[in-house]
Amino acid sequence: MVKADNPRSSALVAPLSIHKVEGRAQDFSAPARHKRNNSSKSSTAASSTPSQMTPPATPDGSQEEDLMQQAERPPIFHNFLRAFYPFHPTYAVSDTTVTLPLNEGDVVLVHSIHTNGWADGTLLISGARGWLPTNYCEAYDPESLRTLLQALLNFWDLMRSGHRSDAELFGNQEFMRGIIAGVRYLLEKSHCLTRESPLVQSNDGLRRNRKALLSELSALVKAAKRLQEFIVTPTSADDVNDVIDEMILKAFKIVTKGVRFLDILEEDQRKKQPLVNRVMETVVEESSVPPTPPADSTSFEGRQHGDNLSDAASRRTSSHSTASGMSTSTRAAEQSNTPSRQRSPLSHSSATTPERRMSKSGSVVAKRPSVSHRVSMTIPAAQRHNLISERLNVSHDNLLSYLGSFIGRLHLQSQSTADLVVTIRHTVTAGKALLAVVEAVCARDTQCADTLDQSRSAMYDRINKLVVAARDVIKSSGLEEDDVVMPQENGRLLMAATGCVKAAGECVAMCKFVLDRIGDFEFEGGLSFDVDPAPYQANHISPGPDGTSVPGSKALVPLEPGNRAPPPPLIIPLYEKPLPEVPVGGSPGEKDVIPRPQPPLESVAEGEDTDDTNSSRSSFLPPLPKLHSPLMTHEEYSPTDRTSPQDGEYQASLRSGSIAVSSIGTTSSYLSSVRGSESSMLSQTSTRATTPDVSNHAPKNTRGSLSEISVSGSHSTIADDMDDGESRMLEKTFAHQLMYNKDGQITGGTLPALVERLTTHDSTPDAMFVSTFYLTFRLFASPIELATALVERFDYVAESPHIAAPVRLRVYNVFKGWLESHWKRLVDLEALSIIESFAKVKLLAVLPHAGGRLLELAGKVSSTDGPLVPRLVSSMGKTNTSMSQYIPADTPLPTPNLSKAQTAALKNWKMGGSNPDITVFDPLELARQLTIKEMNIFCAIMPDELLGSEWTKRSGSNAVNVRAMSTLSTDLSNLVADTILHHDDFKKRAVTIKHWIKIAQKCLELNNYDSLMAIICTLNSSTIVRLKATWAAVSPRRKDMLKGLQAIVEPDKNYAVLRRRLHDHVPPCLPFVGTYLTDLTFVDAGNPATKQLPGHGDSQGIQVINFDKHTRTAKIIGELQRFQIPYRLTEIPELQEWMQAQIVRVKSSPNQEQVQQFYRKSLLLEPRETFPRPSPIDHGSFGSVGSTGSVTATGHKEKFDLFGWTHSRERQLSAS
Amino acid sequence: MCGLRAMILLLRTRCLVTDRSLEQGRQCMLEILDTAGTEQFTAMRELYMKTGQGFLLVFSITSQSSLNELSELREQIIRIKDDDNVPIVIVGNKSDLEEDRMVSRAKAFAVSQSWGNAPYYETSARRRANVDEVFIDLCRQIIRKDNSAPQAFDDEISGVYGQGRKDRRSRQSRRRKKDRSCVIL
Repeated sequence: MVKADNPRSSALVAPLSIHKVEGRAQDFSAPARHKRNNSSKSSTAASSTPSQMTPPATPDGSQEEDLMQQAERPPIFHNFLRAFYPFHPTYAVSDTTVTLPLNEGDVVLVHSIHTNGWADGTLLISGARGWLPTNYCEAYDPESLRTLLQALLNFWDLMRSGHRSDAELFGNQEFMRGIIAGVRYLLEKSHCLTRESPLVQSNDGLRRNRKALLSELSALVKAAKRLQEFIVTPTSADDVNDVIDEMILKAFKIVTKGVRFLDILEEDQRKKQPLVNRVMETVVEESSVPPTPPADSTSFEGRQHGDNLSDAASRRTSSHSTASGMSTSTRAAEQSNTPSRQRSPLSHSSATTPERRMSKSGSVVAKRPSVSHRVSMTIPAAQRHNLISERLNVSHDNLLSYLGSFIGRLHLQSQSTADLVVTIRHTVTAGKALLAVVEAVCARDTQCADTLDQSRSAMYDRINKLVVAARDVIKSSGLEEDDVVMPQENGRLLMAATGCVKAAGECVAMCKFVLDRIGDFEFEGGLSFDVDPAPYQANHISPGPDGTSVPGSKALVPLEPGNRAPPPPLIIPLYEKPLPEVPVGGSPGEKDVIPRPQPPLESVAEGEDTDDTNSSRSSFLPPLPKLHSPLMTHEEYSPTDRTSPQDGEYQASLRSGSIAVSSIGTTSSYLSSVRGSESSMLSQTSTRATTPDVSNHAPKNTRGSLSEISVSGSHSTIADDMDDGESRMLEKTFAHQLMYNKDGQITGGTLPALVERLTTHDSTPDAMFVSTFYLTFRLFASPIELATALVERFDYVAESPHIAAPVRLRVYNVFKGWLESHWKRLVDLEALSIIESFAKVKLLAVLPHAGGRLLELAGKVSSTDGPLVPRLVSSMGKTNTSMSQYIPADTPLPTPNLSKAQTAALKNWKMGGSNPDITVFDPLELARQLTIKEMNIFCAIMPDELLGSEWTKRSGSNAVNVRAMSTLSTDLSNLVADTILHHDDFKKRAVTIKHWIKIAQKCLELNNYDSLMAIICTLNSSTIVRLKATWAAVSPRRKDMLKGLQAIVEPDKNYAVLRRRLHDHVPPCLPFVGTYLTDLTFVDAGNPATKQLPGHGDSQGIQVINFDKHTRTAKIIGELQRFQIPYRLTEIPELQEWMQAQIVRVKSSPNQEQVQQFYRKSLLLEPRETFPRPSPIDHGSFGSVGSTGSVTATGHKEKFDLFGWTHSRERQLSAS
Repeated sequence: MCGLRAMILLLRTRCLVTDRSLEQGRQCMLEILDTAGTEQFTAMRELYMKTGQGFLLVFSITSQSSLNELSELREQIIRIKDDDNVPIVIVGNKSDLEEDRMVSRAKAFAVSQSWGNAPYYETSARRRANVDEVFIDLCRQIIRKDNSAPQAFDDEISGVYGQGRKDRRSRQSRRRKKDRSCVIL
């Protein structure tokens, strides 16, 4: 079954995988997905069908534009919106964008908001992504859900970018933590953390919802585990994608459940204090006070009060209308053909599309109504039977299930009249029952009787219309028993049926509203079915009984077979009673632009209908989706069931998940199973109708039966899952105090949360995280605080016995790692007593061996200086092996290039003889020795020297090696200047310059950028550059070489050239340390130490450690450490000694004076020309120097200028 | 807290605004070179200075010595640029710490006058006071210099002219900072 279902399921889930598009191979089996790419965010991914992604009323949804708009928007961008009013776009208008239908109470994850007021969002209830009008929504950010919502955001971001490091990411299950913590937080906030809490005990609805929520959670955890397995065993990317899609849906579901849970909670609270007037987001309340739609205040007609059924029905209607439209409209035909053509080479035939649509619409009916039944949920089941609200629900459900099956069957497009009659009869019976209940409510309530009566009449009217339509159909088909109803007739029936669904929904919502005000009461009438006084005959439908029972309903049309009017066109127009004006999008100017970006694939078909879509659009804001797409979006519901690659048990549990949802509102298991079977029947039949592949039948049948038994059969699974979820929830955790970035990396958190992360029970902590933590923790916590936090972690994990063992071991490991390789005696010593007592008392008791070892370590640490484990240079996981990787140990050392003459010169010098000139020595060998010298210092740099801008401290800096680096670099620069200026003869100076250029070149060849930088700095300095006579004697070839070297170390654009070179550079390499220091300074100074967690809890969010800052710091340090691998070069002690002596000699005076001395020397050697130049000749490149090099210097000596160059400046200034 | 970094960060977000408000409505791109962290590579100063076209000399009004250090820097700049009229703005930062003031406004102004009438501003990076003005002034100077010396001995600039990119100019402004409480320099 798994195998059989897989291709299908992937197709079904596919629409969700938009977020994967960029990275993974595109799954073309999902036509709808392409369109959903239209989000401005993923505009890059839209390459294949770019213009299909037109956002509504947006020319091209370009990214910049979007950014601009975001900037202009009010400061707060709400990530979640909740619809307070239903929105149902008409599908009659064909278009290229996806608009999401909204039901009241639907929660939407917003990706971006366009200025025209349309938001690109994902509907949590279905996972569908598309455009939705923000004015139908309000920000949704209830305090107790905030953590969960935030977690969902992270989850989404993570999954969307997931492919970057799948294995790693999914391997450690980190991404689950936030969701779990979010759910926990919700329950904690609502005092429902344990099953035993009084609140849960007292409120049945809460209990159920809590259960459902937890079972969803455990389902998600399961899926995550499965994903883990996938990663371990190589699986096709498709499968992984499926699981990821599934998980996202599950996460959505969890949030949906959470929202519902919260609603119930609020309702519960409100019930307890009925007099207090509060504003809440509950559906029922909303319906009583519709915030915006003005045209609605007088009439309830058209309002839907959160009834999802009508929504589902409307979708069905539309899908049907398109289906029927296909026969007449070429455009429609073209449209549905186009995508199928496009998809044809792929594994999923387009035939599945309509099929899925239909089965979907069927199952939607079965699953969705639960949302609207909240009123009854708060009442303990035992007392419910006769309560009017319960009765209302039951009868409503009943009606809907009939209507649902009816509509579902209509989609098969072939039905015998007999069937039709039976169905209609059932429907009418159910409708009667509902009407009776409503009637009872009506009777109770005197105040609202009018409005309620109105909506009841409307419902009655609708039912009548359905009957009329049915009769018409049957009549027109000649009243022959076995005749088949013509497909085109279905349109009318569908409209009528949809109208019924909608009217019933409104009426029920109205009833609930009334009930809310007057309170629930016992329904005396007994079973509603019995109340029905008029047994309906298919061909003799009479309004009579209703007419009597509903005295106020003047609107009823007497249904005489002969003179009934054709039913008015219902469907869409019905829904579009004055829609709230959507903000900007309404401007016609914008709309004109919409059709421009036509999808290339469709342009053929749409060429001529651009105009009429245009005109039809002008009344309707959103360019509407292609016909099937909105329906596709609901596939995610059933696919989750089907995708499950496991056996029946898993299926059952999943299915039960959904059924558990629907049974929330209705305690009657009978109803649930009715619905379950109804839906499965629908999906079966519809499958049969359109799927050519017969082999698919068997599994589907099993699924059907499974779902039928699922109500009873799956309870056990739920219970199991629940226990799992419960125990999970009961873990004390700080996970909600963590912040993540889009890649799932931790960017912030409190110390306990970070420590918890460091000691997770179910996965090895991320290496990067651990090393960052060790490296930087002293910046945000004192050693004592860390030790205390670790001990606390050790303690509180005892509350969750099933994870205690691994966590404790990890706590021990953290201590061990700290003592062994990250111990800094001076600062950390204060924490030692805590660690020792912890080891002695707590650890020894639980893990005797570990306790002993830790004590031993603590003892060693207190007596030894420096780390116990010989220097772990790299915090980023560099090991000694990495060195051998770059330089095999058997690489022959390069032979020292020192001639006998040179050795002799050195010896002579050492004996007190003359100092050999630098030009005596081979440039390569000098470069090598320089490199060795610098590399020794570079390798000695400890990571903590680079923390907190330590090296910039004026005094008492611990960054000795960093300081030594910069000192050496400066010394080398000075040496270069000295050796050049040492000669009085410009030819000798030129030779020295040439020599240094060669040395620099050799340094470059050795990848010694630090020395290169130092040498170039001097050659580039004004002191040297101004020696025009000297430069004239340097060959153009050398100058070109110098130019090339200069280009590399050019500080332009923050050393762009150099950085590019160093990026991915393979060691051995000695990078220029300055860029790292600059980066570290910026990270250190530019990032605050703490962050504000998005406010939850009572007031403001808590301050958390800005771990991101430390991660960045650690990254930079890691980059530097990457190069801390010594060269394999032979040191020549004599040469080193000589070099050191030269440096010391040059170093004799303080630096600043030295620079001036060099400059004076330079002036002395080649004095300034007589007339002062307003602008330097030699600005910029050396090339200009060469070209302007008419050397007149010797003839124009100005002795006074020797020490008075500044005075000359001033003189010049006063002259000008 | 740290004036220097704060100023740069401020500037990063405001750079465009600043440039747009320039006289003649001319837009120019300001490349700001920040050598943070490499102060101890003293030999590199020259390299940095060489590339700059305008300089902010920032000292802390709470530290006399920070002002003294500026004079060294200025001399070096003038020497390296070989130009007395290098665009320079003297900035006394931390004007919010009036109670800790060690350098009187008059004195600082006198110093700036003695340095070729360089404009003097007092800023507070913390309060975001005068930060924009400093950069606008510097940009003005750079542009004026460009305009007044089109015959240019300066190859780079004339090259830019030659290519007709008058509207968008790459400017480098070397920012030397003297800022005591700041971690750097």
